[in-house]
Amino acid sequence: MTIEITSNVETSPGGSPGQSTPGASPSPTAAVSLRGVNVSFGKHRVVRDVNLDLVRNRVTALVGPSGCGKTTILRAINRLHDDSGGKVTGQVLVGDLDVYARDTQAELVRSRVGMVFQRPNPFPTMSIFDNVVAGLRLNGVRSKTVLREAAESALHHAALWDLVKDRLHSPAVRLSGGQQQRLCIARALAVEPEVLLMDEPCSALDPIATAKIEELITHLATDVTIGLVTHNMFQATRVSDYTAFFLLGDDRATGELVEYGDTKTIFESPHDPRTRAYVSGEVG
Amino acid sequence: MSTTLLEEVPPPRLTPIEGVKEGLQRRWARPGGRAYAVLRWTGATVFAVIVLGLVVSLLASSSQAFGHSGLSFLWSGTYNATKDIYPTGIFIIGTLITTAVAIILAVPIGVGTAAFLSELAPKWLAGPLSVLIDLIAAVPSIVVGLWGLLVLSPVFARHVEPFLKKIPGLEWFFHGPAYGPSMLLAGTVLAVMILPTIVALSRTALQGVANEDREAARALGATRWQVVRTAVVPGARTGIEAAVILAMGRALGETIAVAMVIGNNNALPHSLLAPGATLGSAIINNFGEANPGLDRSSIIGLVVVLLAITALVNVGGQLLLRRRLRAEGAVA
Amino acid sequence: MSATVFPGGAGIPSDSGALADAIGARRELVRQSARRSLGRRRLVGRIAIGLCVVAVAISLAPLVALVAYTTSRGVKALSWSFLTHIPTPPGIPGGGISSAIVGSLIIIGLAVVMAVPIGTMCALFLVERRGRLAGALRFAADVLTGVPSIALGIFAYAVLVGPGSLIGHFSGLAGSFALAVLMLPIVVRASEAAMRTVPRDLWEAGLALGVRRSRVVRSVVLRGALPGLVTGNLLAVARAVGETAPLLFTVLGSTLLATNPLQPMGALSLTIYSNGTQPYPAAQEIAWGTAFVLLVLVLALSVVARVVSARLNRQAR
Repeated sequence: MTIEITSNVETSPGGSPGQSTPGASPSPTAAVSLRGVNVSFGKHRVVRDVNLDLVRNRVTALVGPSGCGKTTILRAINRLHDDSGGKVTGQVLVGDLDVYARDTQAELVRSRVGMVFQRPNPFPTMSIFDNVVAGLRLNGVRSKTVLREAAESALHHAALWDLVKDRLHSPAVRLSGGQQQRLCIARALAVEPEVLLMDEPCSALDPIATAKIEELITHLATDVTIGLVTHNMFQATRVSDYTAFFLLGDDRATGELVEYGDTKTIFESPHDPRTRAYVSGEVG
Repeated sequence: MSTTLLEEVPPPRLTPIEGVKEGLQRRWARPGGRAYAVLRWTGATVFAVIVLGLVVSLLASSSQAFGHSGLSFLWSGTYNATKDIYPTGIFIIGTLITTAVAIILAVPIGVGTAAFLSELAPKWLAGPLSVLIDLIAAVPSIVVGLWGLLVLSPVFARHVEPFLKKIPGLEWFFHGPAYGPSMLLAGTVLAVMILPTIVALSRTALQGVANEDREAARALGATRWQVVRTAVVPGARTGIEAAVILAMGRALGETIAVAMVIGNNNALPHSLLAPGATLGSAIINNFGEANPGLDRSSIIGLVVVLLAITALVNVGGQLLLRRRLRAEGAVA
Repeated sequence: MSATVFPGGAGIPSDSGALADAIGARRELVRQSARRSLGRRRLVGRIAIGLCVVAVAISLAPLVALVAYTTSRGVKALSWSFLTHIPTPPGIPGGGISSAIVGSLIIIGLAVVMAVPIGTMCALFLVERRGRLAGALRFAADVLTGVPSIALGIFAYAVLVGPGSLIGHFSGLAGSFALAVLMLPIVVRASEAAMRTVPRDLWEAGLALGVRRSRVVRSVVLRGALPGLVTGNLLAVARAVGETAPLLFTVLGSTLLATNPLQPMGALSLTIYSNGTQPYPAAQEIAWGTAFVLLVLVLALSVVARVVSARLNRQAR
């Protein structure tokens, strides 16, 4: 069985993926680049030695079986492990910002890197509007005009504006699950991040809501760089330009990046036999 | 014979008498059903009888006072044989003032403590501290009262009250001689007693906030405190309100410790430093010497008033708590 | 061994148009605002966290001071003869609190005998039955928990002590009854909560095997809920032991070593109240000693309740 790649590969960068040695300088097209990244919790190393770029204004899918460290790597990019006892070593760059440098403030990293979580998590006590502008307010933006413009723009981008423009001040929790997730996307977009991290954003949604979010993801990639963790191989083929395949290493405890390339290659002619086995087992 | 797992299987339509007979047969014929059902129903019935008995007997015992004074009992109370007066209104005011003092002192401190224990402190510190506060919640009120009377009262008379009198702008609250026993001391002792309640319930409410909400704020660039302020505290608000209301119920109903430190003066207090009386302290101090008849009935009338106030507050708190639980259930 | 492949080549589509400009401008604005405000935001946070630490200190200080002071005064008053002798008449030195200790134990023991079976049975009722009646009982229990304890004392007085009532004079039993009413809602709600932790499947598995319902309850539900039941009952006892208001007008207090629950008795809390409110140092000394004994008893019960629940929980797992 062949796989149809329906994503916008035709607009992807020209040139075929070439081999690169770990530790090389980040490619100029990378919005995020990870070099030799390890994450451990206590004595347990969860992922080891990840070298990965998220190409600017493209969707990169992080796929693999559960427990192989995809989400862990994603959360290393915006330093979400800081408060949960995870220790990150190696280098993470967001643009020219060295995320784990001594003088880098975690809060400033996070205001540049948006995140969307597995389950829709709008602030339950806030209105739709307050949810969208929550990030702006947290970052000290007070101007009413800016808040209003940003909210409208973000809701447009999240394809939610027409739906909620007449009830911006009603509670966010009245929205349906899919709408709540789009609201969370709008909330993340309102601070105009360069990078949007999405951690299985459709896992709690029904197929129709999922389709909407997927459509949204491909549209958003014109303005933001997207890192998408997903269990769903079809979703990866549908929305991503590049795919990174993770697997537990030989010790069965530590995840590692097996292969990375454009999505078509990973799914149709992967180099690594482990990728081939997994992709064919899951998809074929 | 059919074994029904749930008791509430709708029975077939029968005439009422047949229905009852059928129901009894069904229930009692089942093995192990009879004795067990009798047991459960006994428990429930005795409990219900006690609750109803409490209300009925207090109402009956106070009926003479209410019959004598009517609704004016709620303000002016009733005269006893020796023409002493039990001014209900003054006791109510005293109860409200001491409770207000306790709430004003205990709520910010208690919620702040809860926020620290739930959100800010490292685990190795939060765990033991929470246990410590929970344990201290078990200290009997008589011991708190003893400490308030013999230790805190002299400190208030010598240091705290003279100091408060010197604060400009607050003379209206703090004037008159510094005795020690006073509305202020009673409120402070109450604050000490309700603090553990507020801390424990608020901490539960704060911990009940979904971790996803915290992460949402964190991922938007919030600082540690901003996470608490934007994501955690608003989410726990109903729970904290319920905590405050239940603590208020406890403060309103506390009698023995207040009776020991309030100074017991049946007059309208002119300042927080003045001695006063609450419903509870008035009951404690007068019931023993009250003569049978109208005298005693009046004091039981005070119990009824106290019961009504605390029941009102507690029902409010319970409803709030239930609403929160239901809201959480709906989200989950 | 991980081989990493990077896509090469450039070719980023350049954003153009007013929309992109607006986004770029806003991005810059948010960045600046985030950077500029971070110092202030952190400062506010540090102040707020500092205030929370102060709050912790303020809430611990009086509580710890209270326990420490009671302990230091109480230990001085304590001796073997203090625990084993009855009080001496006022003005005569010496004497102890044996009558209060014995009285408290008997009163509490009787209260437990009354409250625990009824409470457990009522909890079974609540677990087995849904609907309005159960809801009303549950609500009554919650409200009863908040009823001022003095009201329970006056209730017991009206039913058992006052003229024309069941006993007609002060007695230890009347105090036990008041305390039992105090404990009842705590026992009911804690037991119900404990029983609900036993999975419904276990009930039904037992019933499906044709086991008698009463046996299922005895061997599955009560056993499974045991840690919660023990903890709930111990906490209810700990609460009742320290109560004073329900005893004042029921038990009356007695300086004699009374063991007949139909007669007035002594109680620890009453000893503290009657001695602590006197201006004589000797009486206050007795109050502190008694307060310390009561404190130890109550804290021991609470600690045991916690330990039991932790241990049995671990076993159940």
